[in-house]
Amino acid sequence: MMAWATLRRHPARTTLAVLGIAVAAALLLDMVMLATGMSESFRSLLLTRGYQLRVSPKGTLPFDSEATIDGAGAIVRALRANPDIKAVSPTLGATLTIDGSRIPSAFTLGLERDVQGDYTLEAGSDITRADSGTTVPLPRIVASQTFLTRAGYVVGDTITISSGLNAQLRTAARSSRVVISGMGRFIYVPGETPVMALDLALLRQLLGPSYRDRMSLAMAESRRGDSASVEAVRSWIATTQPRVTAISTETAIRQVEERLSYFRQLAFVLGAISLGIGFLLVATLVTLSVNERRGEIAVLRAIGTQRLGVLHQVFLEGLLLTSAGIVGGLALGLVTAQWLNGILRDFPGLPSAFDFFVWSPNAGWRALALLLTSGTLAGLLPAWRAASIPIARALREKAIG
Amino acid sequence: MVDVSEHGAGTALETGTAGEPVIACEQVVRSYPMGSAMVQAVRGIDLRIARGEFAAITGPSGCGKSTLLHLLGAVDVPTSGRVLVNGRDTASLSDREATDFRLRHIGFVFQRFYLMPTLSASENVELPLAEAGMDKRARKARARELLGYVGLGDRLEHRPTQLSGGEQQRVAIARALSNEPALLLADEPTGELDAETGVRLLELFGRLHRDGRTLVFVTHDAVVAQAAQRVIRLHDGRVSSDSRSTIASGA
Amino acid sequence: MLAVAVRIACVLGAVGATPLAAQRDSTPRDSAPRGIAIDARMAEDLGLAVGARVRISAKPGEAGDSATIAAIYERKADPAEVARREYRVRLHLDHLQQLMELDDRVDRFAVGTRDGQSIDSALARINHVAFGFRAHKSRDVAVQSSRTFRVVERFHFAIGIITVVASAVFLLCLLLLSVEERKRDIAALRLMGISRATVVRAIVIEAAIVSLIGSVIGAGIGWIASVIVNAHFQELYRTPLVFALLTPQIFAFATGLSLVLGIGSGAAAGWRLVKSSPLSLMGR
Repeated sequence: MMAWATLRRHPARTTLAVLGIAVAAALLLDMVMLATGMSESFRSLLLTRGYQLRVSPKGTLPFDSEATIDGAGAIVRALRANPDIKAVSPTLGATLTIDGSRIPSAFTLGLERDVQGDYTLEAGSDITRADSGTTVPLPRIVASQTFLTRAGYVVGDTITISSGLNAQLRTAARSSRVVISGMGRFIYVPGETPVMALDLALLRQLLGPSYRDRMSLAMAESRRGDSASVEAVRSWIATTQPRVTAISTETAIRQVEERLSYFRQLAFVLGAISLGIGFLLVATLVTLSVNERRGEIAVLRAIGTQRLGVLHQVFLEGLLLTSAGIVGGLALGLVTAQWLNGILRDFPGLPSAFDFFVWSPNAGWRALALLLTSGTLAGLLPAWRAASIPIARALREKAIG
Repeated sequence: MVDVSEHGAGTALETGTAGEPVIACEQVVRSYPMGSAMVQAVRGIDLRIARGEFAAITGPSGCGKSTLLHLLGAVDVPTSGRVLVNGRDTASLSDREATDFRLRHIGFVFQRFYLMPTLSASENVELPLAEAGMDKRARKARARELLGYVGLGDRLEHRPTQLSGGEQQRVAIARALSNEPALLLADEPTGELDAETGVRLLELFGRLHRDGRTLVFVTHDAVVAQAAQRVIRLHDGRVSSDSRSTIASGA
Repeated sequence: MLAVAVRIACVLGAVGATPLAAQRDSTPRDSAPRGIAIDARMAEDLGLAVGARVRISAKPGEAGDSATIAAIYERKADPAEVARREYRVRLHLDHLQQLMELDDRVDRFAVGTRDGQSIDSALARINHVAFGFRAHKSRDVAVQSSRTFRVVERFHFAIGIITVVASAVFLLCLLLLSVEERKRDIAALRLMGISRATVVRAIVIEAAIVSLIGSVIGAGIGWIASVIVNAHFQELYRTPLVFALLTPQIFAFATGLSLVLGIGSGAAAGWRLVKSSPLSLMGR
C-alpha cells in the first residue's frame, strides 16, 4: 500500500519512469522476438507441407544457384523406393517468356500436382498433369497474385508461354498455349516475383531435350517424422546419391541462421542494452526516492517497523514500476515489431511467408522473465540501503536539515 | 510529593515513587566520530524516571538532549554504561528485538511530525498497529478511538497536507499511543508550532500524564519545559540540574 | 564522367549452370589450358595460387577441361552476398559456353553508348525490336540491386528512432529527479531573491554540460564498439565490407541531438520547479 502511495506522490516522475521502462521493455520484447523469430518462421515455412528434407545439386542450397540435377528420374525413383520415405516432390525452376504480355517473362515452377509442396491454391482450379489423359483442351497453370497483377491477366485467361528464343529469327523453339486456371500463394518465392506453376513434364518439354531428365530440387518426407528417422533418411540419401546434397529442416535452419546471424547478434546486443536502460531507470528512481525519504524511513524504523518491512516496501516500489512498464511495453513492443518486420520483409529474395519478428508465448514469457529479474535486482540495492539507514543519525540530520 | 531542590552536575535524583523505574540510565556515555575527532554527546549520565512520571529534558543546543532521547528510545545504543527501559538493557537487544521493543513499549513524537504524506490521519495511526499484526477492522476502530482522544475525531480521512501543524502533531501523538506503550518520548514536540498551538499541545500532554502515562519530552525552551512535572537540565552532555517544575501540571 | 552504360538484361535466365567443380589437375598437360580467375576466398580455402592447374566441368564426375589459375580477385563488398559461402569463378565467355554446351547463349550483356545523351534513345530502339529480352539502364539495375542496403539502412534508422525515444525519456526522468532532489537549495536561492530565469538558466547549463560530456563518452564507446563489430564481422564473413562507421557527421548529429534533448529536459525540469512558490518547495 505504501509503495503504491509513494509512487503516486510524484505522478510526473512515476509516469516518465514507467514510460522509459515501457520503451525499454518494448525494445527487449522485439529483440527476443527477432532472436527466435527467424528460425521459427523458417521452420514453419519449411514444414508447411510436411517435407522435412530437401535434395539439391551437390554443394548448393535449394534454389541458391541456377544449378540443376541430371538423372532426376532415377534419383526420384530411388527415393520413392525407400520404405522410410513417404513422399517425394521433384521441382524444376526456370524462366519462360510470355508472348504479348506486360511482363516479358516469369519464373516458372514445374511440379507434380499430387505431391507438390510449393503453393497453396487460393482460387480457381489446380494445374493439370501432362499425362492425365483428360480431355481438357489446354494445359492448366496456376499463377501468383503478383503475376496476375503485373501481367494484367485474370484466372481463366489463355496465354502462350515459350522457351528457346532466337532473337535474330524472332522465333521460339518451343511454345505452348495454356490457360490460367487458378491463383496460388507460393510459399517459398519472394512476394514481388511473378511466378507460375505448371506440370513438370510440360516444363521439361518446353525447355528442350537437355532438360528431359533434370530437376532443381526434390523435397522428401520421412514416414516416421521424428528427428532420428529424418536424419537416418538424410544420411542414406547422402550415401547412395553422391551427386546431390540432402539437408534436413534443422540443417537448413542452421544455415539460414548463419546467413542471418547478424540479426541475432544485433538482437542480443540491443536486448542487453534495453535491459540495462530499464535497470538503470528503476535503480536510479528508487535510490533517489529513498534518499528523499531518509527521515521518513528512519521514523518508520523508530516507531517499530522492522528492516524487512522497510526493505519490502522499497523493493515493491521498484517492482511496481517495472510491472507497470512491462504492461505498456509488451503492447508497444507488438506494435513496433510489426513496423520493424514490415521493413525487413522488404529484403529482396525472401520468401513472402518469412517473418523476422514472430510472436510466440515463449518469446513473451522470456521477455517478461528478463524484465522482472532486471527490475527485481534494480530495486534490491536501494531497498537494502533503505533498510540499513542508521536511525539516530538520520533523525539527527533531518532535525538539523 | 517529595519537594526536591537542584542538585549538582552529573548526579541523578530519586523520584520517591515506589516500584521499578521505567527508565534507568547508569553512567551512560555516547560518543560519535566527527571527522578525525571523537565527540562525546553524552558524558556519564545517571537518571531514573518512574512510571507515571512527566519529565522534560532541556538545555542549550548541542547539549546532548536529542542524543539522550534516542538512547532512551532504543534508537541508539550507548558507547558505555547501561540504559534500562522497562528493565531491558537496550544495548543487549538485536536490531530486530530493539525494533520490536520500540513498537510495543515506546511511542515516539518528533518535532517535524513525520506523518506519511500519502496516508490519511487514520492510516498513519494504523501503521504501528498493522506492524503489530492487528487485523484491519480492529486497527480502524483503535485509530478512530485514539484520534477522538486527541480531539481529531472528525479528521480521520484527512491527509497531513489538509491538517494544521497542531493537528498533525496530534495525529503523531495518536500514532505514538497506538500500541499502548509504557513510555512516550517526544523530541521538541512544539518546535514547529506557534505559541498558542504549542500551549494546547502541552495541555494534551498534561492530560496524557493525568491518565497515567509516562512521558519524557525534549525541548530547548525552558518555559515549555516547565509544563512538565520534572525538569532535567543538561549542559555539555551532563545533568546540570534535576528539579520539580515550578508550574506542575495538576500535581 | 563516365557514360552510364545501358545494360541489356537478357531474361533467358536459368540455363542450368551447375557450379563448377574445381579439382587439381594431376593428369598430363592438355594443349594450352585456358586461364580462369577465382575469388580470393576459394584460393585460400583450396590452397590455389596463380599458375595452378585445375580441371573444371559442368557436371560432377565429368572429365571436363583443364584450366590454369590466371588471376585471383577480391570480391566486392556487397551486403547481399556477405553471408553467402559460395565460391566464384570467372571464365572467358566462349570457354563457359563450350563447357556448358550453350552454343551462342548468354544471360545478359552490357551496352555502352558513344555519349551520355543517347542512352534513352538507344534504350527505346533496343526495346522496340527486342524479342524475349528487355534493356534497362544500369542506374535502374543498380537501384534494384541496392535494395539490400536500403532495407538494412531503414531498419537501423528505425532502431535508432526507438533508442533515441528511450534515451530522451530516460534523460528527462533523470534530470527531473536530480533537479527535484535539490528543491530546497532552489527554494533557498529563490528566497534570497534570485530570479526564476537565473535558476532555470543554471539548470539548463548544467544539463547541457552533462549531455555534452555524456555524448562525447558515448561516441567514444560507440567508436570502440564499431571497431569490435567490424573486426568480428569481417572475420566471420571474410569480407572487406565495413559494417559500422562513425563519421564526423554522425558524431555531430549525435552530440547535437543529445544537447537538444538535454537542454529541453533541463528547461522542462527547471521550469516545473521554479513555478512553485519557494515556501512550498521548502515543504511549508
